[in-house]
Amino acid sequence: MSKTVGIPKGLLYYDFYPMWKTFFEGVGSKVVVSQDTNKKILDEGVKNCVEDACLPVKTYVGHVINLKEKDVDYIFIPRIVSVERKKYLCSKFLGLPDFIKSLIGDLPPIIDVEINYYKNNDEFTQNEFIKVGRMFGKTKDQSLKAYFEATHQQKKFESLLKEGLTNLEALKVWEGKNLVKEESNYDLKIAVIAHPYDIMDEYISMGIIEKLKNMGAQVYTMEMLQKDLILEGASMLSKEMFWNYERDILGAGLYFLKQKNVDGVIMVSAFGCGPNSMTEELLERLYKKAKEVPFMLITIDEHSGEAGIMTRLEAFTDLLRFNKKAVMV
Amino acid sequence: MKITYPHMGSLNMILKTMFEGIGVEVIDPPPSTNKTLTLGVRNSHEFACLPFKINVGNFIEALDKGADTIIMLGGIGPCRFGYYGQVQREILKDLGYDFKMIIVDPPHGRLIDFLKELASYFPNVDGKIALKSFVFAVKKMIAADKLEKFLLKYRAHEDNPGVTTKIYEEYMKKLEKAQNGKEVDKIVSEAMKKIKENANVRRKIQLKVALVGEIYMLLEPFTNMDISKSLNELGVEVTKTEYLSDYLINSAFKLPQRMEFKKNARGYLERDIGGHGLNTVANTVKYAKLNYDGVIHILPFTCTPEIVAQGIIAKISRDYNIPVMSLVYDENTGQAGYQTRLEAFVDLLYRKRMEVVC
Repeated sequence: MSKTVGIPKGLLYYDFYPMWKTFFEGVGSKVVVSQDTNKKILDEGVKNCVEDACLPVKTYVGHVINLKEKDVDYIFIPRIVSVERKKYLCSKFLGLPDFIKSLIGDLPPIIDVEINYYKNNDEFTQNEFIKVGRMFGKTKDQSLKAYFEATHQQKKFESLLKEGLTNLEALKVWEGKNLVKEESNYDLKIAVIAHPYDIMDEYISMGIIEKLKNMGAQVYTMEMLQKDLILEGASMLSKEMFWNYERDILGAGLYFLKQKNVDGVIMVSAFGCGPNSMTEELLERLYKKAKEVPFMLITIDEHSGEAGIMTRLEAFTDLLRFNKKAVMV
Repeated sequence: MKITYPHMGSLNMILKTMFEGIGVEVIDPPPSTNKTLTLGVRNSHEFACLPFKINVGNFIEALDKGADTIIMLGGIGPCRFGYYGQVQREILKDLGYDFKMIIVDPPHGRLIDFLKELASYFPNVDGKIALKSFVFAVKKMIAADKLEKFLLKYRAHEDNPGVTTKIYEEYMKKLEKAQNGKEVDKIVSEAMKKIKENANVRRKIQLKVALVGEIYMLLEPFTNMDISKSLNELGVEVTKTEYLSDYLINSAFKLPQRMEFKKNARGYLERDIGGHGLNTVANTVKYAKLNYDGVIHILPFTCTPEIVAQGIIAKISRDYNIPVMSLVYDENTGQAGYQTRLEAFVDLLYRKRMEVVC
């Protein structure tokens, strides 16, 4: 019987699931994903995590516990150091497997490959995946084949994002499911700038994206932007950010500010997010100075007060519509 | 050009010595106080870490005093410190200040490259004089750190409460004014002698605690509410794990110390995660192995590397059976709360030792 590998549905799952799934299936294992986030998962996460950790990390801990209860043979918790040349990820990703191992006892074996493209070569990461392949009794060539297929599928997934799908929608399409056709009589365009793990998890973000759509707003995320547009935005900064996702946030924010092709921008971040404390500060100041595109910050935490979010979104969309009318008159 | 810089332990003394040595005018930021903190908090993002906020406060106060150039370190991540300067510049600009900010990237590799970069901002300064003032500044730094290490051990034995601190402060002032190497040596040996003369209390059970954590929090007595003094006054010998001179030496001769950290942290944390996360984990293991009675971990609120470390050292605490307490500091300055927790922790350490004795 083939071994099962559990992939927690949190953090970079929303960005790299196609790659990981393809690889593990390529080396002959069965992939199990944890449930969608629910109250139990979040509560378990909060209970077992360090209190000062950010919300997505707490949720992730809950997902790992969920997988442990599902009796998988392995849990995949990669150590993602860098996904782009000369760029890092937030510290929590660098120590994630160590952190999780310290927090939760009696875990099944953890597959903690290091994903590191800091030096701009594939070789290091390939070797890491070859090591994983060996755990499943595969030769170097077999693993490499799976790895290349995985990167191919990942590219396919990323091109779906660029077509204007959110990560969740793109994941569905990639898995071959049909999307529910949406009505397209949107009268507002809103950019939601955030880490995918903050806004794609419908439970912890309280469905911000869906809510905005229901209010008649077409939503743009930074994943939908072509990379050169983000870099164009980021080039306005005096020093490029050393975290790639933060660079994307700043780049996307500045791009929308410059192009003015959206009616408003909402930035969502998790309570206590260290990197976002820098990007939010900069973006908010720049938007306030420009006074051209309305900008709102939403902070999410484990106290899921849905009404509060709803009120703020409604107020924001009302304001945008009011702005539009004022221009028309 | 009137230069200023943020406070960080004895950093101001060292920078002052260095810049005055090359003939640049220096405006020392006023000592960090609650007012500094308030200014910083008011003008920073709520989740910015405490060092960031105090930096902002220091800058505002120094600019008000007439400084026009700020020296700040940069970095390449993954700690957010590397982007401090850029954000702080925007904040200060928005407040309407007119100034120049020099952001020097820290030595990643050879110290000499760092010095060269720094020197490029001061083209009119003679290289030899600059090097000489740098060497003298480093000498002062090492002297100050040596004196502090001594203080943290002997203050726990002082005969009359408060005397040692007074001696220390008096000699630190002298050190700041010292003009040459000979004077520095003399000040240190005199201070050590005086501190020792006033430290004659001996206890049956002598507790030793290691302070680990984020470097700024450990170096700035204002931000950590002088935790080492509180512990000393409870009769505990303290070993602080981060000093400026150690940091400089690590940066200059990176490998040996980093290897030691990696070796100690093996099995708990397998790589550097930015900031001082790896150091915290490694030092906790190190002092657990040295049979210290306890470890206190101090970190600023929202510091990501230290939060990861916090989760990990809880496991080290169980594995090595050593009490570990994490103290998170933010802008709420309730000293009494921390004092209570320290007292409770120290009580616990005594009880643990008593069990062994009985």
